[in-house]
Amino acid sequence: MSSLVTARNVSKSFGNVRAVDNVSFDIEKGKIMGLFGPNGAGKTTLLKAVLGLTDCEGSLSVLGLDPFKQRKELMQNICFIADVAVLPRWIKVAQLLDFMESVHPNFSRPRAEDLLSRTKVRIDAKVGELSKGMVTQLHLSIITAIDAKLLVLDEPTLGLDIIFRKEFYSNLLNDYFDGERTILITTHQVEEIENLMTDIMFINDGRILLDSSMEALPDTFMELITSGENADKARQFGPIYERDVFGKKVMTFEGVDPENLEGLGEPHTPSVADLFVAKVKGAAA
Amino acid sequence: MISHQFALIRREIWEHRSLFITPAVVGLVMVLTLLTAFIFASGYQEIVDIGIVGAQSLAGDTERRAALLAVLAGNTAPFMIAGAILTVFYSLDSLYAERKNKSILFWRSLPITDAETVISKLLTTVLAIPLIAFVVIMVTHLLILAMTSMFVSIEGGSSMFLIWKSAPLFDVWAGMLIIMILLPVWFSPFIGWFLFVSGWTKRSPLLMAFLPLMLVPTLEYWVLRTHLIWDAIQGRFDQLPLFKGIDIETLFDDSEFIANADAVSLLAYVDVGKFFASPHMWAGLVVCGLFITAAIYVRRYRDDS
Repeated sequence: MSSLVTARNVSKSFGNVRAVDNVSFDIEKGKIMGLFGPNGAGKTTLLKAVLGLTDCEGSLSVLGLDPFKQRKELMQNICFIADVAVLPRWIKVAQLLDFMESVHPNFSRPRAEDLLSRTKVRIDAKVGELSKGMVTQLHLSIITAIDAKLLVLDEPTLGLDIIFRKEFYSNLLNDYFDGERTILITTHQVEEIENLMTDIMFINDGRILLDSSMEALPDTFMELITSGENADKARQFGPIYERDVFGKKVMTFEGVDPENLEGLGEPHTPSVADLFVAKVKGAAA
Repeated sequence: MISHQFALIRREIWEHRSLFITPAVVGLVMVLTLLTAFIFASGYQEIVDIGIVGAQSLAGDTERRAALLAVLAGNTAPFMIAGAILTVFYSLDSLYAERKNKSILFWRSLPITDAETVISKLLTTVLAIPLIAFVVIMVTHLLILAMTSMFVSIEGGSSMFLIWKSAPLFDVWAGMLIIMILLPVWFSPFIGWFLFVSGWTKRSPLLMAFLPLMLVPTLEYWVLRTHLIWDAIQGRFDQLPLFKGIDIETLFDDSEFIANADAVSLLAYVDVGKFFASPHMWAGLVVCGLFITAAIYVRRYRDDS
């Protein structure tokens, strides 16, 4: 497997605050990596470092390039949607396509026009006249028409209604993702991309709490719904997090042999959202 | 690189439509004013007739040429003023607006360097603004001359003789093209400063650009009792090394008080050699280069998105 992104001991400080603190990870080709963290965890800073928008300490290689020093070369093969609002409001859709065609060597105008024809976005409309959902459709169509190796999405569906959000991810999978391309995505709406991701990474206080493939999660993590004496017994195996639900205890275990917990309650694999809370709160406790 | 620049400058013109609308409006107002003047003038038949007869019979070629030169060259003044105002507002807005509306994140997601972007904004001020204004000036001149010749023809004069043979169109155009291209070069330290402020300031670029131009010289005078910076700023406005002085000796023939035909020319007063030989011009370019470098550096390294 070739590694598209390789980070070794990457750090970035703003004054005394270490936004990213000695982080190491790899993203391999063909993966859809979800990056999660609370607000201010360092997600956006890490993405910016990957995109070459900010410099950092340590060694970071994206597509074999130094993202900060070789940003122009990198951007020929990376796309990103940082937030729904970034397309300039004054530009017309046709102008945007003209511009992309003239500056981006890997942009296919016919493909973009084809993708747009399936939406309500008119070619002669101004971005400022489009609804938020349509702007995102436009942005995704443009990005999808770029033959890029890595797509970085930072809260791409923020502020969109559920229909546009669902459509966004289905278009992303159907039109963009082909197994060759790689996606790095952050969002607060974890549930919506849970079935889409192949890999997952949690970050908090600038440090990585979890870096795993989705397949490996059930082997590592288990959630147990239990109560009374069983709860006390289960607690001896060191749950990383415990919460109360309708008078019962829900415990999250990491790397505990399921046999040990047998008969102590209802076991199941935690959802990514629950796992996220368990890891973040558990680490804080 | 060059095709990128075309695309980037075209983008600037899409975004800042005032760059072509403003000169077009100036030209339109000028044409409409002239039209009104003709309509008004047709009420004074006798005076008009006397004027046309005078222009045809009494005046010589050179006088006619001089009169039309004054009209054509004089007409460009409102365009120059509009261009100067556009340059100030455009350069202060160009790197500020993209941060304000966050579109900078989109632009920076494309394979274009920060240097290319900042340079495209510089080229828009020093090339696109003057060239657009220049094209509008040419069209306005042609419209004004066409209207005038129609008026003259209706009033019974010979428009071919009075207007088209006498109008030093190409002389004025060539002279204006040189002046309009070289003026922004001369004022480039200000343009560089404005672009830098535009890329750097977090609020009110207009204030942040002009306040230091007053405060820094004042401070210099208080502290050092010198006024070098003020002299440098003022010098940009009163030492433009682009024109030859008007020499009365050559303007008129010694014997008769008739204008010398060679001197009735805009080009004759433009001194490109003097311009490029001026150390002040080159010093200004260096200052502009420093500000532009700083603007590129700020766009690349500052992370405030």
